[in-house]
Amino acid sequence: MYKILSKAGLPGLIEKWMEQATVYAPVRQGDFTQFEPLDDPAQADLYYTANTRYPPKALFLPQSEIMFRAKDGELESTEDEVSSRVILGIHSCDTRALQLLDGVFLAGDYQDPYWAKKREQTTLVVLGCADPCETCFCTSVGSGPFDKRGADVMLINIDDKYVADVRSEKGQALFDHLPDASQEQVVTSRQVQAAAAAKMEKPFESEGIKDKLYSLFDSDFWPKIQQSCLGCGICTFLCPTCYCFDIVDEAQRNERVRNWDTCMFRIYSQEASGHNPRPTNTERVRQRIMHKYAYFVELYDEIGCTGCGRCVRYCPVNLDIRQIIRSAQAWEES
Amino acid sequence: MHNPYKPIPMRIARTVVETDDQSLKSFELTFERKADQEKFFSKYRPGQFCQLSIFSKGEAPFGVASAAWEGDFVRFTINKIGVFTRAIHEMKPGDTIGMRGPLGNWYPIEDWKGSNIVIIGGGYAFTTLFTLAQHLLAPEIRSQYGDLTVIYGAREPGLFLYKKVIETWYERKDINFYQTIDNPREGWGHLVGYVPTVTKEIAPAAENAVAFVCGPPVMIRFTLPVLNELCFPPERIYTSLEKRMKCGIGKCGRCNVGPKYICKDGPVFTFAELRELPSDL
Amino acid sequence: MNQLTLAIRREAARILEENIVDVVIGFEAGTLPLRAQPAFITQKEEAEKLMYSGFCQNNLASYLTRRPKEERIGIICRGCESRAVRALVIEHQHDRDRLYLIGIPCTGIIDWRKIERQVGENALQAVEEGDEVIVTTRDGEHRFQRADVLHDSCQRCLHPNPVGADIVLGDPLPEGDPEQAWAPVLEFEALPPEERYAYFVQEAERCIRCYACREACPMCYCTECFVDYTTPRWAESMITPSGTQAWHIIRAFHQTGRCVSCGACERACPMDIKMTYLVDKLNYDMVQQYGFEVGASNEAQPPFAAFTLDDKNRFVR
Repeated sequence: MYKILSKAGLPGLIEKWMEQATVYAPVRQGDFTQFEPLDDPAQADLYYTANTRYPPKALFLPQSEIMFRAKDGELESTEDEVSSRVILGIHSCDTRALQLLDGVFLAGDYQDPYWAKKREQTTLVVLGCADPCETCFCTSVGSGPFDKRGADVMLINIDDKYVADVRSEKGQALFDHLPDASQEQVVTSRQVQAAAAAKMEKPFESEGIKDKLYSLFDSDFWPKIQQSCLGCGICTFLCPTCYCFDIVDEAQRNERVRNWDTCMFRIYSQEASGHNPRPTNTERVRQRIMHKYAYFVELYDEIGCTGCGRCVRYCPVNLDIRQIIRSAQAWEES
Repeated sequence: MHNPYKPIPMRIARTVVETDDQSLKSFELTFERKADQEKFFSKYRPGQFCQLSIFSKGEAPFGVASAAWEGDFVRFTINKIGVFTRAIHEMKPGDTIGMRGPLGNWYPIEDWKGSNIVIIGGGYAFTTLFTLAQHLLAPEIRSQYGDLTVIYGAREPGLFLYKKVIETWYERKDINFYQTIDNPREGWGHLVGYVPTVTKEIAPAAENAVAFVCGPPVMIRFTLPVLNELCFPPERIYTSLEKRMKCGIGKCGRCNVGPKYICKDGPVFTFAELRELPSDL
Repeated sequence: MNQLTLAIRREAARILEENIVDVVIGFEAGTLPLRAQPAFITQKEEAEKLMYSGFCQNNLASYLTRRPKEERIGIICRGCESRAVRALVIEHQHDRDRLYLIGIPCTGIIDWRKIERQVGENALQAVEEGDEVIVTTRDGEHRFQRADVLHDSCQRCLHPNPVGADIVLGDPLPEGDPEQAWAPVLEFEALPPEERYAYFVQEAERCIRCYACREACPMCYCTECFVDYTTPRWAESMITPSGTQAWHIIRAFHQTGRCVSCGACERACPMDIKMTYLVDKLNYDMVQQYGFEVGASNEAQPPFAAFTLDDKNRFVR
């Protein structure tokens, strides 16, 4: 169903939501924007360009998360320490990434209760991108600026209003009482969406990338492209689809904790015997790219990258994944 | 909702020093809660592993080294090599320890009923092969399979695990058991030679047979060609892999190799499957 | 096409052709308008892709410890890079005979974030023209005075001229003014302790422990960094004030007398954290108390990394 909301009416709506849930929205802090819980609807800064630096995946998989507290020899889980939340203003790329991560955390023989409960308790009100940025490439990886997968509500900005495409029961609970959008407004919103996607250039062709990367596994491609990579963790930490974590006991605080980890660090795969299956930067860069564009595809038939562009913007050496994929597709072994 | 990261409480019932140099010790753990015990044994199969947990020291994965019929306990044989294993070695009967499991896949012997089973193990990696052999020796199971051949190599006589039990295998008619050490030693009554060489001499027949091989990488590297020569196809040779693990349930990414997680899609793989995996293993 | 780019290409092609080096490390055009990429060329024909501009924001000396040990390396060196090379050679991390330094007197690195803060994140094109930087975005052209958009470390640069280079391309530039360079250190020091601490806590709070600052730094080359130690564990990996603050403080101390003030750490940081102020103070103390400035000479050892038998040992009583 489609609802209509004026921009001026949004703060009032947020206030209503705040009666029942914690509302997270992008909030400007100094020079950049970050998702924070709102104390006041006026704090929400929905017109952030590019993306937030820190990905909103942190609201579901915190960078440091206490899993258990040790009390009298027993480990007590923190999985229920989660309350009702609304995340407003998240973009499609980040929403789609959460959905891809559901495939890791919720599927198979074991479900991750920390992830599951946060997902259950959260309603995602997505703000699609009418004006995608230069570094965004969601349309190259099977997504788009108004990709609705995973959204409870998708907001499309037309003039001074939002058309709200309400897609789930959770979304309904937040938007039900609003007036329906007119047919004309819905049509305009569709035009906005089509125009946004059409504006975007495709920096690479993703068709066949999985097989191409597999064929390059032992080639000279990887030693060549990894030369400028510094082996820091920026791309993996800012990435909305990266999920590797480490589990550590913080005995002094009686906590069992999980922290984001990264395959870009040498010690990630270091074994107690001293053997390291990925001893040099070459293997690690290869692992990162292949995990996103080959292994993930093998497992889930989806590219494990949503084109958010954070790694492109913040890599200190401008090692650009768009350029890497394009080069891989074109690589001919001599 | 079941929390797969939460360990269940286990109590150390018995410890056995396995090797003469004290580096390997077996721990037999019993369940504090009957419900946990029932749940465990309803799922457990030879080849699986568990994560043992000591709060403040962390967790580590260990293959289960006992067959279900051996009793209401779960045995782990642990090599003292780091902070965590050193801490376990200092524990005594009566102490409690956390456990998560059984995890991973298992030796799929159900698929090979009627076949001859060849088990080849070297060094500390024998733990889950011991489990497999013990499982097969249960009377109601044994009759479902053909010949059972076990080749077990260690560097020296003192480094064999489960000495008391494996001694009894010589007296049995339902198992062809061969022990071998690297170099001759006075008083040693069994075979001498590296496992690959001994395997070649014993030459177990590949017809209607399936092999399970575990050991240090160098042993595997030289045993595989022997099995090849004996005409064992790679789909009928199984092994159990080890890799650095953290969550043990296929979430944290640590043990990933290509599209697989060793903890979830393994640790048991055929050599045919291994060939498909990328080489950063 | 600027003259410096042409000169670099010529020299790079020459030293490859004459087999003086196996690889030349320089810069090539980036994929973003305000950026450039480090380049590694091994054939003289590849020299055509080298370029040089104010958007070359990385300290290339950080690659030296990443290359194979036996490789003979040609490297583009601005002031800070050349001093880092000197420091690395003194610390026995590289053999000076296997290096060929192509020196470039440096007019400073343009901080792309200063530009984006003013014109938004969608630059389409950026060019340097004399004293100006002209940036075209979706809503038109914007002009900046180059001096206003240089990175903070470059605005305070004392030594833009390369030292110990095998060849210097371009004309020498006036050295920086020490009073101007050290002024921020003294200003910060003059603040009451609570304010300084509050600033430190505020900056460190944003840290996500990506260690880009460490990896971008030419002087951080330890194969096992102190943060990776578990026995003993010097700093926890969890995002906590204690872990993160320990990281920043200890890294600053490990850089004492070694850091060349290039600012690559700040430029690498994805969270815009200020960190040079910590080590700038430590380096200032090195100058004041030991008369030592990193990269000033080919022989002088960093005071905290070396000892002599007649050291004063004032702290031992």
